[in-house]
This record gives sequence, C-alpha cells and structure tokens, in this order.
Amino acid sequence: MESKPLVVVGAGVAGTAAAIEAAKAGVQTTLIDENPIGMSMIGLDVPQFFGQRIMGTLRNKAVMLGRVAAANDALADAEEAGVDVQLGTYVWGAFRNTETSRVLDGPQLGLADDEQSWVINYDRLIVAAGSRDLGMSFAGWNMAGVMGANGAYSLMSRYQALTSQRMVVMGSGNLALNTARMAQDRGVEVAAVVDVSPSVRGGEALVTGLQAKGAKFYTSHTVKEAVGRADDIEAVVLVEIDDDAEPVAGSEKTIDADTVCLAIGLAPNVELLDLLDCRLAFKSELGGYVPCRDDRMRTSVDDVFVAGDAAGFHDEMILNPEIARNQGRLAGIAAAQSLGAIDNAEALARRSDILRSAAVTAPPAEVHTGWKKWLRSLVNAGGLDIFACLCEEVTRAELIGLQPPRYLEWESERMSSRSLQTLMKDGPVNPDQVKRLTRAGMGHCQGRRCREQVSLILAEEAGADIAEVPLTSYRPPVRPLPLKVMWPHEEPEQVRRDWVKWFTP
Amino acid sequence: MPVDSADVVIIGGGVSGLSSAYFLAKAGKDVVVVEKGTVGSEASGRSGGMISERVGESPLVPLAVESLNIWAGLDDELGYPTEFTHHGRLQVAVTEEQMDEVFSERDAAFAHGINVDQLDPSEMRDMIPGLSEKALVGVFFPNGGHANPQRTVQAFAWALQDMKGRLYQNTAVTGMKVADGRVSSVETSAGTIEAETVVAAAGPQTALLAEMVDVHVPAAPARVEMLATAPLEPLFKIALVGNGLYGRQAARGNLLFGGGPHEWADVGLTTDPDKPNTPLIRNIARRLAELLPGAADVPVIRSWAGVVEQCPDYLPIIDFLDSPSNYVVVTASAHGFGLAPATGKAASDLVLHGESSIDISGLGLRRFDNVGTGWRDERGWIPAPEQPAAH
Ligand SMILES: Cc1cc2nc3c(=O)[nH]c(=O)nc-3n(C[C@H](O)[C@H](O)[C@H](O)COP(=O)(O)OP(=O)(O)OC[C@H]3O[C@@H](n4cnc5c(N)ncnc54)[C@H](O)[C@@H]3O)c2cc1C
Ligand SMILES: Cc1cc2nc3c(=O)[nH]c(=O)nc-3n(C[C@H](O)[C@H](O)[C@H](O)COP(=O)(O)OP(=O)(O)OC[C@H]3O[C@@H](n4cnc5c(N)ncnc54)[C@H](O)[C@@H]3O)c2cc1C
Repeated sequence: MESKPLVVVGAGVAGTAAAIEAAKAGVQTTLIDENPIGMSMIGLDVPQFFGQRIMGTLRNKAVMLGRVAAANDALADAEEAGVDVQLGTYVWGAFRNTETSRVLDGPQLGLADDEQSWVINYDRLIVAAGSRDLGMSFAGWNMAGVMGANGAYSLMSRYQALTSQRMVVMGSGNLALNTARMAQDRGVEVAAVVDVSPSVRGGEALVTGLQAKGAKFYTSHTVKEAVGRADDIEAVVLVEIDDDAEPVAGSEKTIDADTVCLAIGLAPNVELLDLLDCRLAFKSELGGYVPCRDDRMRTSVDDVFVAGDAAGFHDEMILNPEIARNQGRLAGIAAAQSLGAIDNAEALARRSDILRSAAVTAPPAEVHTGWKKWLRSLVNAGGLDIFACLCEEVTRAELIGLQPPRYLEWESERMSSRSLQTLMKDGPVNPDQVKRLTRAGMGHCQGRRCREQVSLILAEEAGADIAEVPLTSYRPPVRPLPLKVMWPHEEPEQVRRDWVKWFTP
Repeated sequence: MPVDSADVVIIGGGVSGLSSAYFLAKAGKDVVVVEKGTVGSEASGRSGGMISERVGESPLVPLAVESLNIWAGLDDELGYPTEFTHHGRLQVAVTEEQMDEVFSERDAAFAHGINVDQLDPSEMRDMIPGLSEKALVGVFFPNGGHANPQRTVQAFAWALQDMKGRLYQNTAVTGMKVADGRVSSVETSAGTIEAETVVAAAGPQTALLAEMVDVHVPAAPARVEMLATAPLEPLFKIALVGNGLYGRQAARGNLLFGGGPHEWADVGLTTDPDKPNTPLIRNIARRLAELLPGAADVPVIRSWAGVVEQCPDYLPIIDFLDSPSNYVVVTASAHGFGLAPATGKAASDLVLHGESSIDISGLGLRRFDNVGTGWRDERGWIPAPEQPAAH
C-alpha cells in the first residue's frame, strides 16, 4: 500500500504545530483529527466526558466543521503550509508487525468517519492525541450534567455548544480555574469551586477574577452527592472534610447547579502508543502512564513521536500552551530529520530557535496524592455503594469484593469469601484480571471514565503505590465503531476466498 | 533446597492445567500449579467460549460429550460462576458453499448417534432475531453451549485453592531434572519444586517443555483474533456458527465473535508472546454484520488475540508417557476450552489410575511417531518471513 510520509494524530495545539513544522521542512504531512465527532460518539461520552449538556446544533456536521476550524487559527496556517488536514476522522487503530504478526506491509493506522473505515500506511507518526478527563465518582454521577474539564472545554471552545446554566467545579488547580473562567466568560454561573485541599491550588489571579463574578470557593470540601430529577442534576451537596478526609457532620451545603465539572486532573491519551508497543512509564507528575521519549519527542519505537498532553500533562500546560506547541514543533522537526527532509545542521538550527525562546518551567509536582485524597473523601462521604464504573454499573463495594456482576444473580458462600484482598495473596495486583472478573472498565466508554479511579482503588486495597499498578491494556478499536462503519466496504475477493473458519484444513 | 514439593506439579495455569489440577486435588492429591503469568492470561482467558460435541472430529466425540456432562453441573461443583449456558448450538449457512459444511456436520452428528434438528430460514430467524435474510439452512445441535472463559479459569483456580491446591502465578518453569527416566523436579523462576508426577499443560509451550525431556510433541503455535461489541438487548442464548465465524452473545449482551485466518508463530519458553490485533478485525466485523444485519449499528468496543497450538491432525494430545515415566502431556490443539472439564478429568485419571475413564484412545502421542521434527516446515506451519522495513 502507498505510505504517507508523516501522519500527525490530533489537531490541537501540539499536533498542528508539529504538522506545520514538518510541512515547512518539506515533508508531505497529513494531520488527522476526529473533531467534529458524531453525535452517537458524544452520547457514549467518547472521547471526552461530555455529560449530555450539548446543544442540538451539534447534529449539523457542516456547522460543527466550521466551528472546529474556527476554534483553531493554526489550522488555516497548516493548510497554507501544505498540510493535508483531515477533520472528522477517527484514528481507531494502530498496527505494526511484531514477532507473532508479520502480514502488514508497514505500520498502519485504522481510520474512520461516521460512515466508513479505511486503513493507511505511514512512514512516521506523531501522536498528539491530547488528554482525557479524570473521572471520580459520587452519588448521582450517573446523571446528565456530570462532565469532565476536557469535555467542557471542547463544548465551550470547539463547539460553542455547552448548555449549562450553573456549574460546580471539582478541583482548584489551573485546570479547574481555567475551566471555571471559560464558563463564566460564556455566561455560565460558576456556583462553587470545590477542592479537598486546604487551600486553592491554582493561580491567584484566576481566583480573584472568578470571585469577582460570584464564584464561591470551598476548600477542605468534597462532593457528597448530586441530586436531581429524571436523571438530570439540580443540586450538588458539598460537605466539609477533616484532616483524615472524613466528612464533618452537619457541614453539608446544598448548591443549586445543573452541571458538575470534574476538573481534578487529566490523563494523557496513550492508547495509540500502547497499541504500537511504545514503552510507557508511570510518572505521576505527568498524569500517570506516559510514553518514554527523548528530548526530541521520539518514543521507544523509532518511527513514532509524541507531543503535547499525550506526552504527559501537568497543570502549568493549561496556562501556557507554548509548552505543547514547542513539543509539537520539536516532534515535527525530529520527524522531518529522520525522514531525511532536512539535514542534521538544519534540524539543529530549527531546534535552537525553539529552545532559545522557550520559557524554562519549574518541574511539575506529583498529582496522585491529591487524587487519592479526592477519592478517599468521596468514599468517606458517599460510601461504597456508588458506581465506580458507569457503563457496567459496578459499585465500589462490588469492585473491592471482586463480585461477579449482579445480572448473573450468583451467590455462594465461596464467592462471598473472595475479594480483591484474597486475590492479591496470589500475586501482584493485575487490573486486567480484575476488570474481566468485575467488568469495571469493560463498557461502551472503553474505561475512559473509570480507569484511573479503578486503579486508585486497587492500589488502596493492595496497600501499594499507584505506580505499581500496571497499565490496564488498550485494545483496538480505541473508538467505539459500529460494525457497519468498521467493516471494509470493499473486501478483496481473495480475502473472501481464503477465509478460514477455525484452522479448517 | 526445593521451595516446595507435591504429588503432582502442573505446568500451565490455563483451563486444561487448572481443570486437571482441580480433579487431582479433589481426589486427594497434593497439587501445585505453576503459571508464568496469571491464570488464563494466555489462550484460556481469550477463548471464544464455545462448547460443542465436536461431531466433525470422531476421536474427540467421547471427550466432548463427557465434557458437556461435566459442564452441566460445573458451577455448583466449583462454587463459582462460569456463565455456562446450555441452550444448544446453531450452525448456519448464508452461502451455497456454506451449505455443504453445514450438511456434513449434520451427517457427522447422525453418524455418532447424535440427534440434530435441521432448521429452515424462518425457524432460524425466530431463534436469532436480526439474522440475515440470506440464511439458507441451519443445523441445530441441542447439546451445545458456551461459557465465560475468564470466569471459568478463575473458578477452577479458586476451587483448586479451596481444595488446598497451591497456585504459583508469575512463576515460569525454566527446566526439569530427569533421573532414572523420571522427572524428579521442576525448575522454576521461584526455585525448585519436587514432583512425583508432572502434568505439562503449557499451551504452545508444551512442545518446548517436552524437548527438555527429549520428547517430540508436534504442536505449532498460531495467533488468532476476536472482537466484542457493546451490549445489545438479549437476542439469543445459543452458540452460533456461520459465515466463517463462531461466537455468542454474552450474558451481559455483548456479541463476541471470532474467525478468519490465523498466523503461525514461534513462542519463547518463559516469555509472553505478543498478541496484537491486525486490520483483520475489520473483516470479522463485516462477516458479523453480514450474518446479523440487525446488529450492524452496534459499536465494536474491543478486540483481542490469543496464541493457541495446533497438532498436525488438529486434535489434542492427552497422554501419560512411557519415558519420562511420570510425565503427562496435555495439549489442546485449539479446542481446549469446551473440552477442558473432560480433559482435566482424563488427565487426572491418567495420573491416578494409569488410564482414563473417558475414551481418549485417539489422542495419544504415539500417533505422531512418524512425524519428524521438520514437519512444520513441510506443512508451511511456520511464521511468515519478517517483512523488510518499509523505509
Ligand atoms: C480547561 C481547559 C482550558 C484550556 N484553555 C486553553 C486556552 O486558553 N488556550 C489554548 O491554546 N489552549 C487551551 N486549552 C488546551 C490545552 O491547554 C492545550 O491544548 C493542551 O495542553 C495541549 O494540547 P494538545 O495539542 O496536546 O491536545 P488537544 O488540544 O487536546 O488536542 C488533541 C486532539 O487530538 C484529537 N484526538 C485524540 N485522539 C484521537 C484519535 N484517536 N483520532 C483522532 N483524533 C484524536 C482530540 O480530539 C483533540 O482534538 C485548554 C484546555 C482545557 C482542558
Ligand atoms: C481467540 C480464541 C478463541 C478461541 N475460541 C475457542 C472456543 O470458542 N472454544 C474452544 O473450545 N476453544 C477455543 N479456543 C481455544 C482454547 O482457548 C484453548 O485451546 C484452551 O484455552 C487451551 O487451554 P490450555 O490450558 O491447554 O492452554 P493455555 O490457555 O495456553 O494455557 C497454558 C498456560 O501455560 C502457561 N505456560 C506456558 N509456558 C510456561 C512455563 N514455561 N512456565 C509456566 N507456565 C507456562 C501459559 O502462560 C498459559 O497460561 C480459542 C482460543 C483463542 C485464542
């Protein structure tokens, strides 16, 4: 198959910068982004946690396409530079030959729009796939109106389609404060900004601005529950917590709101990198499992590069998009250099330009202590009978008890005697095994909303450091694709002729 | 110093090894299972979960039928759920060529005295809402079903522990000590384990282990793929075979289907073979949508691959060897999930009594006495050459 010299996945700040840089270096570059995504995908809370606060306009693809293009000025620059920009295109798979799989004529990506799928080959790949919302559960988080910061950001800036009126924001880092500010700018009332930490974690300036427009800050507080009618949020109950993250009796406050925005943290989108077997390592300060990379953004797999949130997210990046942009440019240069489009001297000169102007930022801090505190406070305030996994409706208690799903209606003494605790006597915690037994993470959102939370619970139960919990594996398709979209519309006669049912001679 | 010793050391914590271990522990033997990963982390946890009488393979029928008998009471026996469902199996033809296959299965069933029911299109569509209008004919096997492979493996493992069997996970067998024509101990990454008897049920690695004790087990590894959709409302409970696919609707509602070309591979003794999917999953999706057009809108949410091993005649080996004289070989030849309860029963019989209560006379290793070590090359059951780098 004909091979694209360079494919960039993700047309955010990082990917667009990468594509422009590579194109300027003379590389024929294809930039692919899934936005505008289909309504059915949004309904599944994929790829972001959208929370069903979306205007009907989203149904009009042409309108949305216009908005997506308009939301990112650099896209026009990319097209100007000769980049082949393909919007509305999901990258659902990444394939390369391995020891046991040798049939491909080169590394490949599986692509799709809402109608059909296809496969392309690439010589070099830059993954600039951004990040994913960190889900944390509380009573009522299964109602419409619960969303993530990335989902909210996407609805506000990319689609201009957020329908919220009054929002409670969970978290007080720059991610949370910036989300709150954007919401205020768009006429959403920010009723409360809540954090388990004793003081606000993000920048002073943002706090003052938010307060001026009426936002109230609740530090040393957690969310006890969201209440509402007909699966739609109407109010959020906050509760103060003590030093042990235990709720303080009688300190509940009920806040009217139709939206709760989870803005505690983001997790890098490493799904495609994992499919390609790029080495990943746990780095709390970058949001969890991130690709191992050199300072030119090359991963452990020679022809794959990374940039932006996908390479690791920290809170400073919200304030300073230059970080992601510079990473993108470096990746674009490295890819161009490795393709031989520019020589070493030229690459050095281009890198130097970037390094000279880039601000030196302080090393980011680890985030999981804070995430753990959030989880502990939510468990203390809400108990164990809260869904940890929304798609499969698995409660925290069922997860900890390693219980088979309720629909099996299975009860036995022996089963009740089993739990995560007993499983862990047999060996180190294995999230894939737990997932298959409890089904937490096995649903249509492909574990997006519960992955981190489930791993945190496993670590807590194991008394292990979160870094010791292995990555829960990713499998293609990394976007839920209908059978009739995923299938090849044209299937070569040979495939049909040579089809083997099961080793039949 | 050995770290442990047991009456029986079982190499491999797949469904075959665990089932063998369970029946041995139940009979009072002191049993240890050594598994390089976690239980079921290879083929057994990746299986399609289909269970049938295997009428097309005569030597397997007694084992398969006995297996179904054990399956019927397995949940209660083990005390843990396997999701076994016993609603039969339907084999459908949606093309003229597929009709021949279906009829030959029907005839094979009759030849074994097994009753099957031939269904016309409307009867089939009643059984399977959403089935293709192109479905021409079907044969229904009342005695068939499916189960959840991961739950099954874990159920055996837990039941084994409840019988005081010991499970070493994340522990690889690296060698074996042979003295006086017997394997006296098994070397593992966790130390030496002494054994009265060894059962090697290590899937694709069974052949590599056998080499260590100078036995030739002809079994070639191959990688196969499957996919799963998001849950649908309950459509059918039977095991479904048709249009080049096999699969089921899980208790939760997901469609789980596999089929299509396999890829021959090599494996290492102690490493986990990589198990990527390929764009083949698109072709599986197409065949599934052709078979069940009513489900064409349901999203595929994951796919996976597993490595199974295959003997030259596509049949398992269950055999107590003459030399080493305390060594049992169990290799499933890619049918192992449905057969596992009976496989374990037969293997435990061999250890306990020297012979099996189930007829496994067609599954001995001696049938391959004439198969030389070059057989994989001769058959072409070898990995494809590595592709030259694209750039
Ligand atoms: C609350 C909030 C406020 C922000 N405010 C600003 C701001 O004021 N200014 C600013 O410039 N940026 C802002 N951002 C964006 C953010 O700071 C940077 O964009 C980010 O740090 C780095 O961007 P990126 O290119 O790595 O990822 P993203 O911008 O997230 O881009 C990744 C893109 O890849 C796409 N993608 C991922 N996987 C696939 C796939 N498999 N197939 C197809 N497409 C895929 C995603 O849909 C997405 O469009 C904000 C973000 C948030 C959450
Ligand atoms: C995608 C797929 C679909 C399938 N569908 C069906 C189906 O529908 N019906 C059916 O009946 N069968 C099916 N099969 C086949 C079936 O799953 C296998 O035949 C069966 O699971 C084999 O079980 P086993 O215990 O013999 O081998 P395995 O499951 O391979 O177990 C062997 C174990 O030994 C371990 N091991 C290997 N080497 C060592 C070592 N050196 N030290 C320690 N441990 C070691 C491995 O880690 C492994 O866990 C399918 C298989 C796949 C992959």
